[in-house]
Amino acid sequence: MLPILSLIVLIPLLFAALTLFTKTKEQARVMALVATVAVLVLTLYMYINFDSTIADNQFEEIYQWVPSLGINYHLGVDGIGMPLILLNAIVLPFLILFTWNDDRKAPNRFYALILATEGAVIGVFAALDFFLFYIFWELTLIPLFFMVSIWGGPGKHHAAIKFFIYTHIASLVMLLGIFGLYFSAWEMTGTPSLDIPALLSQFQFIGSGVMKDLIFLALLFGFIVKIPVFPFHSWQPDAYTEAPTAGSVLFVMLKIGGYGIFKVILPLLPFTASPNLMITIMAALGAVSIIYGAFLALAQSDLKRMVAYSSVSHMGYVLLGAAGLVSLSVSGAMFQQFSHGLIMSIMFMACGVINTTAGTRIINDLGGLAQKMPKLAVIMVLTFMASLGLPGLSGFIAEVSVLAGSFVNLPSYVIIALLAIVITAAYHIWALQRAMFGVFNEKLGTIVDINGYQTLSMGIIAILIVYFGWNPSPVLDMMLTNSEQIISLMAVMGV
Amino acid sequence: MAIGDLAFLIPLLPALAFVLTFFLGKKLPNGGAIIPIAAITISFVISLLITMNLLQNPEEVINQSYSWFAILNIGVLVDPLAAVMLTMVSLVSLLIHIYSVGYMSHDRSQSRYFAETALFTASMLGLALSDNILQLFICWELVGVCSYLLIGFWYEKPSASSAAKKAFLTTRVGDVMFLAGIVILFSDLFRIFNGTIPDGVYILRFDEIFTHIPEIAAMNANILGMEVSHITIITLLFFGGAIGKSGQFPLHVWLPDAMEGPTTVSALIHAATMVTAGVYLVARTFPMFMAAPSSLLVVAYLGAFTAIFAATMGIVMNDLKRVLAYSTISQLGYMMLGLGVGAAIGAEAVGISIFHLINHAFFKALLFLCAGSVIHAVGTHDMRQLGGVAKVMPITAVTMIIAAFSLAGFGIPDTIFGFSGFFSKDPIIESAYLFGSSSGMWIPYLLSITAALLTSLYIFRLVFMTFFGKPRTDYGGHESPASMTVPLSILALLALVAGALTRTTFYEFVSETFVNDFVQMDIPALADIGGYHLASHAGHEPMLILWMPLIVAVAGLLVSYLIYGLKVVNMDSLVSRNNPVYKLLYNRYYQNAIYTDFLSVKVIYEGFAFAGHAIDRGFDWTVNWISDLMIESGEALRQFQTGVIQTYATAVIAGVGLLIVLIKVVMEVI
Repeated sequence: MLPILSLIVLIPLLFAALTLFTKTKEQARVMALVATVAVLVLTLYMYINFDSTIADNQFEEIYQWVPSLGINYHLGVDGIGMPLILLNAIVLPFLILFTWNDDRKAPNRFYALILATEGAVIGVFAALDFFLFYIFWELTLIPLFFMVSIWGGPGKHHAAIKFFIYTHIASLVMLLGIFGLYFSAWEMTGTPSLDIPALLSQFQFIGSGVMKDLIFLALLFGFIVKIPVFPFHSWQPDAYTEAPTAGSVLFVMLKIGGYGIFKVILPLLPFTASPNLMITIMAALGAVSIIYGAFLALAQSDLKRMVAYSSVSHMGYVLLGAAGLVSLSVSGAMFQQFSHGLIMSIMFMACGVINTTAGTRIINDLGGLAQKMPKLAVIMVLTFMASLGLPGLSGFIAEVSVLAGSFVNLPSYVIIALLAIVITAAYHIWALQRAMFGVFNEKLGTIVDINGYQTLSMGIIAILIVYFGWNPSPVLDMMLTNSEQIISLMAVMGV
Repeated sequence: MAIGDLAFLIPLLPALAFVLTFFLGKKLPNGGAIIPIAAITISFVISLLITMNLLQNPEEVINQSYSWFAILNIGVLVDPLAAVMLTMVSLVSLLIHIYSVGYMSHDRSQSRYFAETALFTASMLGLALSDNILQLFICWELVGVCSYLLIGFWYEKPSASSAAKKAFLTTRVGDVMFLAGIVILFSDLFRIFNGTIPDGVYILRFDEIFTHIPEIAAMNANILGMEVSHITIITLLFFGGAIGKSGQFPLHVWLPDAMEGPTTVSALIHAATMVTAGVYLVARTFPMFMAAPSSLLVVAYLGAFTAIFAATMGIVMNDLKRVLAYSTISQLGYMMLGLGVGAAIGAEAVGISIFHLINHAFFKALLFLCAGSVIHAVGTHDMRQLGGVAKVMPITAVTMIIAAFSLAGFGIPDTIFGFSGFFSKDPIIESAYLFGSSSGMWIPYLLSITAALLTSLYIFRLVFMTFFGKPRTDYGGHESPASMTVPLSILALLALVAGALTRTTFYEFVSETFVNDFVQMDIPALADIGGYHLASHAGHEPMLILWMPLIVAVAGLLVSYLIYGLKVVNMDSLVSRNNPVYKLLYNRYYQNAIYTDFLSVKVIYEGFAFAGHAIDRGFDWTVNWISDLMIESGEALRQFQTGVIQTYATAVIAGVGLLIVLIKVVMEVI
């Protein structure tokens, strides 16, 4: 059989290397488009052949690599990873199209970095060996670091370094957790293995409760910094805001932190020494992020920074839903990752377009843009509505599932999250009113609406937001299958 | 094929019309108005046929449910309550659409207008035929967003985009309460099923919810030391949603501002598509309210209070549309009161309240469309500049006066002579009396009868100031075209006779909503759970009580005739800005200042958001401080600042080596 997962991971990495050698913008963007479309086609092929009724890993590939340390080249994808690979595969070609007519320095390196990020991120979702997982995990850092530090805004150096060091430290803590798991299992079984499914299933047999909790917390820390949630979010607004538009979209595609929560944290959770404490930590961080991010977004004057903080708020749902431990809430949290990826990519594209044409993103300096940019206005209103959780759009499916599902076990945290909904509506609607509606601010000069490529890419993603808002099943079914499996583990342990 | 199989088309056709008009409308004459008009016409015909069929075969309640995602469903439920609602919404919306062709003919964004009103109508129709509470909520939110778009239709006007924002955010406060109610309800049902829901059971479907009312009522939560039943919490949260959507005190503030949109939009919002949603929600979930201790009392008191509260402000407004807006709030209060008195009269309350909803839709749509006709012709909505309009616009004047009589509730008790509004408002006031006499709680009755006096006063003030006397300014004007006067005449006919013709049939029909093959509710048993004592409604009110609504209506008419018709009192001296009562009313009890200036700006924006901002700066500062400390403390680490990636790679490898050693040590210790 075709090693399809390897292809999906390696094609973008290979093309990234090739793109470096292109001379012109035209060559670079074509290379990038070819690679991302190839990934999309392969991913769709894989998606069609994916069985969403089973929770097992599918399309597995396994080759021995370093047997003495138990390292294998092991790829596979389940209902947790599949939707996220799909998300990346769908958005990336449109991201390339979105940047089609842009002029910037070193386009060959720019597109190479986009492709490298895509390969690395998909690699994380496909890896079933912790060694491979960690390599891909760290590999995502490097292209994003350069993306911000080369093409970023005025504060790019500070933002890039902060992002790198902050999340790198978190990765090291996560690595500690992986080692803890690896060596503990090695001691018990006598054979080394870095295989993710094997290690996850051996966690429960670790004798020391303290060790189990330390491993768990180290892994959890690594993941939540990457999501990010309160109080470990402070790298995120800087990085998201200073990054060029494409970089911000890539950050949004970087759903590896949340993926780790579902793939690693939840299967381990019932076997920790103090599962209830862990649930409380997760729920509290999730709920606080939701309301904290919302208030912070309200306080921002920069449109893009507002969107960045709204992302903190939305990501809180991922953690809250995961901690809710009902299949509806867990699958809702997974769906939130998928939906948030779609919504935020348009949000950042809109911020980018406005910044380019108006020369500013300060909300109060804008005004009346809808008169000059009617196409952008339609897409923006729809996306803002999706972002504030309007039914009929994908964000609502995620939020209502998380809220309703989590209330069963975590009522007080859900009430905190509910309080944030009005604030969330407020900053979205208020920003729209000030930036898009009202009297046009003549000081902005000539304003041009989005071009054909931008309309196409934003429009199609917007249509997907509507589509998944009415018919979430194509991705939600597989999420449900895996959530139910996770929950059945909980039930066995009586959590 | 039975007509019921087509029920799903009722909201779907206008939704399709939205898509078509949105993309193709610009290329068609009149902004593609024909598309939504055709779609809504078909929706109306289907609704009407279904209603006729249900009248003859009450057992043929339509219910179709399909799995949606996870354990949730989407579906269609057309029982008597939904049927009358669908018929009214599609009819009123259709007439408003036809009227809009003329009214909006000069606007260059016509196609956007018709697309948005089509979606507005589709959402409301979808809301009415939902078979589960989540779908109702979804349509409820879509209604909200459409109103946002339409109130802000002229978005380049700052006042319009500001009013749109206000409407969206104010109703959002209610929506969150509604959502919270759904979330609690879901988790209660989830527990009742012990987390395993059988295939084919959709727990948020109304029949499923109603079946489990006693179990939900038995659950208690401790709030501030009080044991409160979950059913009370859930119903009050639902009512919170209704307060926002149906403009009840204290969330009514958005409704008077909502007239920033085209007048036809106001007509849609006030009559058919938006504000009635809250009343409909309470009616739809009435069995839950029946079983919820104190919830119905809250509904009754708040409804009666809103009725009089809004009427007091209606008296002092000088803007034609604002008077009507406060009138809507007040009348919605009556509808809520009508539901609240279910505490005394049981399920009959749904019948009288929804009857008022329907009649109100007709005469309020008429009032707004007449106002629109006047504004369209003379170009102002300040009543102080009008006067004598009846001479130039006779059709508009006559239809508006019919609507005014209907609103004021003119009619002769115990006969079939009366305007539509009489046959629905009168029973509500009478039921409030019955509620008072059976429970000793007289306040709702007293408020509602006083509000009836004020209603008559403000609406005839409007009529005299606008249509009679001498023109106060030279406004020109002419009668509106037929596409506008024909819908006016149809609505006027409905406001004139609909009530008299349908009243008995209507009550019987709608009261069957909760007893059929979809749900079988034992209302007295539910009333026992809720602790309500149902009184028999045998009509032995004293003669004076029976005639009281008419007496106050006539009194209101006479007073406004004396003041605004004959001008026996000089109002200008009375309404000076120094009169504290006038000031209080004219400034709308200063609610704007409290909500916008204080609560939103001072507390939430300047308080919480900036406090959060400061905290966040603190976090950021700490992070930067730690990293600076690290950078400064290590000579070798200075290379960080060069940003050379090899340095990091080396650091990573070195770090990893160190960690392996560390973890070995830790393992030994543990």
